[in-house]
Amino acid sequence: MNGPSHAMTLGTDLPQLAPYLVLAVGGLAVMLLDAFTGGRRKDHLSLLTLLTLLGAAAAQGAVPADPRGATLMGGMLAADRFSRFFNLLTVTIAMLTTVFATSVYEREGRHRADFYPLVLFASLGMMLLAAATDLLSLFLAIETMSLAVYVLVAGNRGSLRSSEAGFKYLILGAFASAFLLMGLALLYGQAGATDYAAVRRAVDAAPAGGVLLPLACGLVLVALGFKVAMVPFHMWTPDVYDGAPAYVTGFMATGVKAAAFAALLRVAWLLPPVAEVWFPLLTVLAVLTMTYGNLVALSQSGLKRMLAYSSIAHAGYLLLGVLAVLNTGRDSATAVQAAAVRDAAGGAILFYLVVYALMNLGAFGVVACLSRSRDQEADAIDGYAGLSRRRPFVAATLAVFMFSLAGIPPTAGFVGKFYIFDAVVKAGLVPLAVWGVINSLLSAYYYLRVIVVMYMKTAEGEVHDGHSWEAAFTCGVLALLVLLLGVVPGSFYALAAHTFRQMTY
Amino acid sequence: MAFITDHILTWTAFAPALGAVLVLAAGRTPGAARRIALGAALADFVLSLHLLRHFEAANGADQFVEHAPWLAGGKIAYSLGLDGVSLWLVLLTTFLGPLVILSAWRAIAERVREAMAFLLLLQTAMIGTFLARDMLLFYVFWEAMLIPMYFLIGIWGGERRVYAAVKFFLFTMVGSVFMLVAILWCYQQAGSMALADFLQLELSRGQQSWLFAAFALAFAIKVPLFPFHTWLPDAHVEAPTAGSVILAGILLKMGTYGLLRFAIPLFPEAALALGPWLAWLAVIGIIYGALVAMVQQDVKKLVAYSSVSHLGFVVLGLFSLTTTGAAGGVVQMLAHGLSTGALFLLVGVIYERRHTRQIAEFGGLAHAMPAYAAVFLFVTLASIGLPGLCGFTGEFLILFGTFGSGLLPHARLLVALAATGVVLGAIYMLWMYQRVFLGKLGERNRGLPDLSVREWAVLLPILVMIVALGVHPAPLLERLEPSLERILAPVAAIRQTESSYGLALGVSAAQPAAATAALKGDR
Repeated sequence: MNGPSHAMTLGTDLPQLAPYLVLAVGGLAVMLLDAFTGGRRKDHLSLLTLLTLLGAAAAQGAVPADPRGATLMGGMLAADRFSRFFNLLTVTIAMLTTVFATSVYEREGRHRADFYPLVLFASLGMMLLAAATDLLSLFLAIETMSLAVYVLVAGNRGSLRSSEAGFKYLILGAFASAFLLMGLALLYGQAGATDYAAVRRAVDAAPAGGVLLPLACGLVLVALGFKVAMVPFHMWTPDVYDGAPAYVTGFMATGVKAAAFAALLRVAWLLPPVAEVWFPLLTVLAVLTMTYGNLVALSQSGLKRMLAYSSIAHAGYLLLGVLAVLNTGRDSATAVQAAAVRDAAGGAILFYLVVYALMNLGAFGVVACLSRSRDQEADAIDGYAGLSRRRPFVAATLAVFMFSLAGIPPTAGFVGKFYIFDAVVKAGLVPLAVWGVINSLLSAYYYLRVIVVMYMKTAEGEVHDGHSWEAAFTCGVLALLVLLLGVVPGSFYALAAHTFRQMTY
Repeated sequence: MAFITDHILTWTAFAPALGAVLVLAAGRTPGAARRIALGAALADFVLSLHLLRHFEAANGADQFVEHAPWLAGGKIAYSLGLDGVSLWLVLLTTFLGPLVILSAWRAIAERVREAMAFLLLLQTAMIGTFLARDMLLFYVFWEAMLIPMYFLIGIWGGERRVYAAVKFFLFTMVGSVFMLVAILWCYQQAGSMALADFLQLELSRGQQSWLFAAFALAFAIKVPLFPFHTWLPDAHVEAPTAGSVILAGILLKMGTYGLLRFAIPLFPEAALALGPWLAWLAVIGIIYGALVAMVQQDVKKLVAYSSVSHLGFVVLGLFSLTTTGAAGGVVQMLAHGLSTGALFLLVGVIYERRHTRQIAEFGGLAHAMPAYAAVFLFVTLASIGLPGLCGFTGEFLILFGTFGSGLLPHARLLVALAATGVVLGAIYMLWMYQRVFLGKLGERNRGLPDLSVREWAVLLPILVMIVALGVHPAPLLERLEPSLERILAPVAAIRQTESSYGLALGVSAAQPAAATAALKGDR
């Protein structure tokens, strides 16, 4: 690309790039600010982080989404509703995470200054990942996100488990990156270009029966499967989720997962010609992911580990949605019908990601709220005994999150599952829907156990008694949102479906 | 008042929920919480009386209909309606509501505010289930019902309350999730969640069988039909009295209501083909429940198993697929709600005094508590179907309708077997009565106080209704039959086609119709 046109693109792209730039600049500013201010209290860092995130949201809100097909920086990033949707979601998740983290630091009386820039850079990576429409930007985004998250996971320096988790995540993540890079290289070799549109053209033109294309797509799938904790690439999940501080776990379980699914949905557009090859395997993996996550979650005694396994199961439900997206157009249905089902399925995935973020962050927020410090986290489920008497409000919010995660109406979790299973049935995959509901039945058991302990057991021995007004208030707002989206999800779902329809690829 | 009467169904359904919010907001002392809850439940009862007054008896269609788009561009709607069947079940719910709260006045002394809020929320969910005319809305109410009941059993229940609460929750959910898939499948076919659109679906026999199985499983677990009944004794025994009364009085009727409202009319061919199996399970349940009740040592458990037996009658009546049998089924639902509800209240009365329910602990109670003994006898007689009391009307219509049903193979054998259930019912109830109330008064039971004013206030309305239903069921049946005919129309349509092909099934509908006519006093 020659100079003048590049400059021109950058000029017109600048407003659309603003959210990313705000985060990058904000992250650097927070780092510098920390270097130039002393003292143990770092309230101003937390404040600046929140302001940066708000600024990014405002910058995103100020520019209208371009119509479908608009890309930035010569096809590297999409500037569509889809990336806008995920940018706002990521910023929200990061803000909630910052609030929960700060609340824990305040209780300890010592701030971790490195948390704030890292959370900003990780968010930047997530946003880029959801917007990537080029093999190169995909890789850069996933690395930006991952590097920051590796450090965040190890953020509890005094704890061996935290260090172990960070190390484990780093090593396995490096493997996943290698897979990704190999897959991207193969795709590039086929297409001779790196932007998705060119790759798609090459894929369409490729003769049937080739081995390289399915292999390349498979390698990309492995890497993204690693990030969303798809079985059998989930091995890291329990240890990492368990070892990381609760607020980081919440951040990973929601933010990383949402960004990776966004990337997966965009990549899914590269897949259709090879979907025939991948569909059966992905079906098996989705079923395994759900079932494995739920079965192992049944026997956990720590809340974080239980939520870690349950997040594997939720990745399985989301994969059902991806299967519904992929399955449309495979059989005799007309093109119009197929498009309608695809939009429904895509909308269901986006809706579920948001709902999952709300309820899961809420659950991890309660853990953060009740932890005395990072070393004494409110992890053991038995420690929640009698919580409904000691902290009726916090217990009620956690009960709402648990019912929602189990998919019981009138919560958003039910509506999310309803949309996913509805799309799955519409796509003609009734047995998968049946397996899905059997799984949500399994999951009800372990979610209910938390409620049993909180409401029906009396406290014996060690109980969790940390307290934070900010965290409790934030959890209350999240619980309210979960209930609200459970009763009137209509317009938000319509927005999600519209967003998916307008996705650029 | 127009803003209430225009949306009377919404108000009836959500008045208790509003009360729950008030209880949580303003019920700072236990007394205040109780009073607010009672006020909300009474207000709801008044609202439901408005329904009864303005209900057009001869109209079998849904009345007071409310409709507002909810999701998917109106394909899923907030849609409420009330026909004869729903009318009586809603009235049963609002009638028992205040009584239940009154019965918990002393029995629930801890965390009163939460208990009252859960009772009221449960009432909203139950009324919503009876009123919903959109399948997703129905499902939401149906599942939402689980949450308050789960807490009521789990927090205020007996020793094994956690086990019972979780078992109750999971058992019910097992059935409902498959129903959800069936609903989704029909939704895809019908293009809307409206019950009316589901009724228009033309499904092959094979499809109907699967869908019917999915629906029937959900409802059979709730009824509970043998062999899905194992959650019931646990839930009943561990639940606090208020929970047991709601469970027996209303929640179990959700299952039979669902069979009647959804499973049978939506999938009539499957109902005809598979109904006999359910009828056999029902009869097995009648006898099994009675036999197991007979050997119980715990009065509450005995009453719980008697429910299995009584609900078996209801299912048998429904699957006679005649208007008479179904009418008997609905009457039996109401009768069981009254008599078994009263029995649980009475068991609660003695439990509050002695903190035991073992039959062996009692004997000669009639000497110490004569009024209590008299009321107990009265309810016992109602429960075993003494003519003139509520139990008789339902059982009679069920047996009569089934006997004349040409749609149920071996109908007469089924009736004969079910009738032995009636005899067994008399045996275990009267035997229990004899052991508890007659004979020599034990030392520990001397000086037990008789019924208090509050307990009388709880029981008396139920006693009145037990007599009313037994002596004069006509107003009930009048409002029921047009709706039942409408609900069973799809089955009748199939029967007509089949007879026109020369597969006439013999017995006409005239004979059972004569029975209801006689009961209604038409000459």
